[in-house]
Amino acid sequence: MEVETTFLTRRGNAVMRRSKHIEARRIRIGRGTGNEVQLQDIRVDLTAAALFPRDGMLTIQASGPSPLLVNGRSTRSAPLAPGDEITIGPYQIRLGEPAPGIDAVLSVELVQPLGDTLARLTSQSGLRLEGRALSKRGVSWLGFLFIIVVFLAGPIFGYFFGLPPFKAGVPPLSGPSATIASLWEPGELANSHRFFAANCAICHQSSFASVPDTACVACHSRDRAHAITATPVGGTQKAIGTAQCTSCHEEHRGNHGIVIADSKLCLRCHATLAETAPALGVRDVAGFPDHPQFRVTLVADAAGPRLRRAPLGNGPAPEDRPGLKFSHAAHLVSAGFPALGYKPMVCADCHTREPSGQGFLPITYNGKCAHCHRLSFERQDLPWPNGRVPHGDDRGVAAAVWNFYAGKALQGGMTQTPAPAPAVLRLAPGEAAPETGAGLPATGASSWVTAKTEAVLRTIVFDDKRGCGYCHFGTGPNGAFDLSSILPVGPGPPRQAPGRIVAPVLLQSRFLPAARFDHAKHTAMACEHCHAARQAETSGTVMIPEIATCLTCHGAPKATSRAESTCISCHGFHRAAHGSALGIATSAK
Amino acid sequence: MRGSEARAFLSSVRPNRHESFLAYSHYRYPGVAALLGAASLVIYIADRPYGTRYGGTWAGYILGIAGAAIILWLTWFGYRKRSYADIDGRLAGRLSAHVYFGLVLLIMVTLHTGFHFGWNVHTLAYVLMCAVIASGILGVFCYIRYPRLMTENRAGMSMQQMVGSIATLDEQLRVSAMPLDENSALVIQRAIETSAIGGSVWRQLTGHYPDCATAAAIAHFDSGAAKVPEWAEKDWAQVRVVLSEKASLLQRVRRDIGYKAMLDAWLYLHVPVSFMLLGALLAHVISVFFLW
Repeated sequence: MEVETTFLTRRGNAVMRRSKHIEARRIRIGRGTGNEVQLQDIRVDLTAAALFPRDGMLTIQASGPSPLLVNGRSTRSAPLAPGDEITIGPYQIRLGEPAPGIDAVLSVELVQPLGDTLARLTSQSGLRLEGRALSKRGVSWLGFLFIIVVFLAGPIFGYFFGLPPFKAGVPPLSGPSATIASLWEPGELANSHRFFAANCAICHQSSFASVPDTACVACHSRDRAHAITATPVGGTQKAIGTAQCTSCHEEHRGNHGIVIADSKLCLRCHATLAETAPALGVRDVAGFPDHPQFRVTLVADAAGPRLRRAPLGNGPAPEDRPGLKFSHAAHLVSAGFPALGYKPMVCADCHTREPSGQGFLPITYNGKCAHCHRLSFERQDLPWPNGRVPHGDDRGVAAAVWNFYAGKALQGGMTQTPAPAPAVLRLAPGEAAPETGAGLPATGASSWVTAKTEAVLRTIVFDDKRGCGYCHFGTGPNGAFDLSSILPVGPGPPRQAPGRIVAPVLLQSRFLPAARFDHAKHTAMACEHCHAARQAETSGTVMIPEIATCLTCHGAPKATSRAESTCISCHGFHRAAHGSALGIATSAK
Repeated sequence: MRGSEARAFLSSVRPNRHESFLAYSHYRYPGVAALLGAASLVIYIADRPYGTRYGGTWAGYILGIAGAAIILWLTWFGYRKRSYADIDGRLAGRLSAHVYFGLVLLIMVTLHTGFHFGWNVHTLAYVLMCAVIASGILGVFCYIRYPRLMTENRAGMSMQQMVGSIATLDEQLRVSAMPLDENSALVIQRAIETSAIGGSVWRQLTGHYPDCATAAAIAHFDSGAAKVPEWAEKDWAQVRVVLSEKASLLQRVRRDIGYKAMLDAWLYLHVPVSFMLLGALLAHVISVFFLW
């Protein structure tokens, strides 16, 4: 066969032609060098196809594994006519009109060039991270906006629209409001405030302003001020007067900040208070244990009542004047008393703890003394035991005695008691005859009652050594009992005494009123470690221990071999005696 | 400034030898940062508030304001380093300051918190700051380690050179594989057309290319070496050699891409978290004064 093959190469509009004349029995087409028509492209099979005449027609037959397309249709063998297009790999072969002496005219063109290898390589490679992953800018915006919306814009929006937890005036919230509230919380609330932790508006009543005192006092209305400001106290007055609750009480610090135990806060003023405000009479405190000696509050005059302050420690022992004759020593004898079965008395027999254990219940005659110290004036009874005077009722005493004997007389018990003496008076020379009816012969029951009453009142009830005088003083000179207001007892019930016969008694329960001692925290100690009761022979003895006793166990803040003690271990800031805590200092009321 | 003047100026401010940004100017910035850190500690200790130490004491305010100012200044570095028109040429110095002031923030802001932490926006700002600093430390380690490895790996070639060489080898392969059988030609074709360089983020970072066509081609040529007919031995060997060259180049390129990816990847954490930090910082400052 004679075949004319033209290789076409297009560049833009120009076409280059390279012709080749082939003479062969079969025209083999393929990649290999042995082929008559060599197609130099790796995408072509080694021997892709063969062209040969068959039955007078030019036939093409595929000889490689790759597909052969004739006029667009895949085939393994097909007859050809001029104008047909054969596709082998990236090449297109067109059959032209045969010229004289030429059996076939082929034009071969590479229609799918490989292109620039480097450009292809670069385009299908991913050499940088840029553009592959999410852009930094996008993620940055996303993150920024998310945080601004959730943590800033959201709560501010809620604030101005009164949404929980910024809704004022509602009962304590919980649930999602608590979560939103906690987003801005810089720390946990103190334990006692946590029940309204989800209600920011209860304390934070306006934006960009600290918590006002009114917010605190709305609940803490019973807390009192610290100082009375009627007395000008210079710089201290200003510091106290302008301080707010939040000056000292920090919330959102867990349980740390609400009650500040640091002594420095107190010493800021109290280290020099004697110089800055001498009128207050408060001594300088350098700290603890550099603390001044204790001063006890004692009764100067139970009748006033008038109290006074006296220092403990070295120097003459101060004396209390409660108006009672009482000896602790006499009660604590080891032999005991018959009425108590000869068991020795202990402190708890009279001093009963109050329920909290901090102090003790008041000592009353009826509660503590009456069991042993009966106020009987007569051994005999009416049908019911009744020969006693009431305690603490000056006016009722005379009436009780008179009533007893009146009762006796009505019963007809006169015969059992010694009859009144005959009307014979023995008088010593010069002794004036009594003017009153006492001792004179009287007639009838009424005069017997009157006589008995007077005798008992004089000799038993108001006797200096027994009767009331056993424990009490009288209102007369030198503590004597002045009976002139109830004696003589005339016919009929006795007069009502206008004044007091027995001097008033003032038993203090607190000798250190500015401090707060809790007996419940000291139960492991024996009472007599601090209170020398066995040596107290009179009620004037002050049994409050001085500061050295406390220092055996209590030491400075941050002490390691003593109990840490700060100012507020014993003292309180808010004083019950003063007005409302709104404004820490108040005017004198 | 004209070119000659610029060059003169640059040579005056830029050292002639390479100076690591960590040791810039005789460790000037580590010194300043250490002073700042010591000052923070002194301020923290000097403050003896009545209650606990926290961000609202006088020391807390000083540390907080200083910390916030430093955070803003550090963020500004990200903008400044892109202002190429500014021919100051002291980017290394600014980077050095950025790194060391960023590190000292850890001390300053931790003291500012007074060690109070909780599930709130304030601790969120602190945690984000720590994440930024941690990613920054990661970045410092990357920049200490990888540039040297990259230089050694490249052996004097640039990336373009390496990719160009691979393209050239591809052309050689195409020519050398012409006389080979169909299977081998197909294998070679695939090796040329699907050269996998880089690709997804994961691929770039790990350098793991399980279906590398070149490796498959090498395997094919190694396993078929015994059955090669004598007339094709030379061609077979030729192709095998070119494949080895291409494989070695591919490995270099992929390793280079891996190093470059590590040098870039940490920044994808550092920058977004920095902006989240800015948001949290804004929320922290406003909320603290909003509910004073």
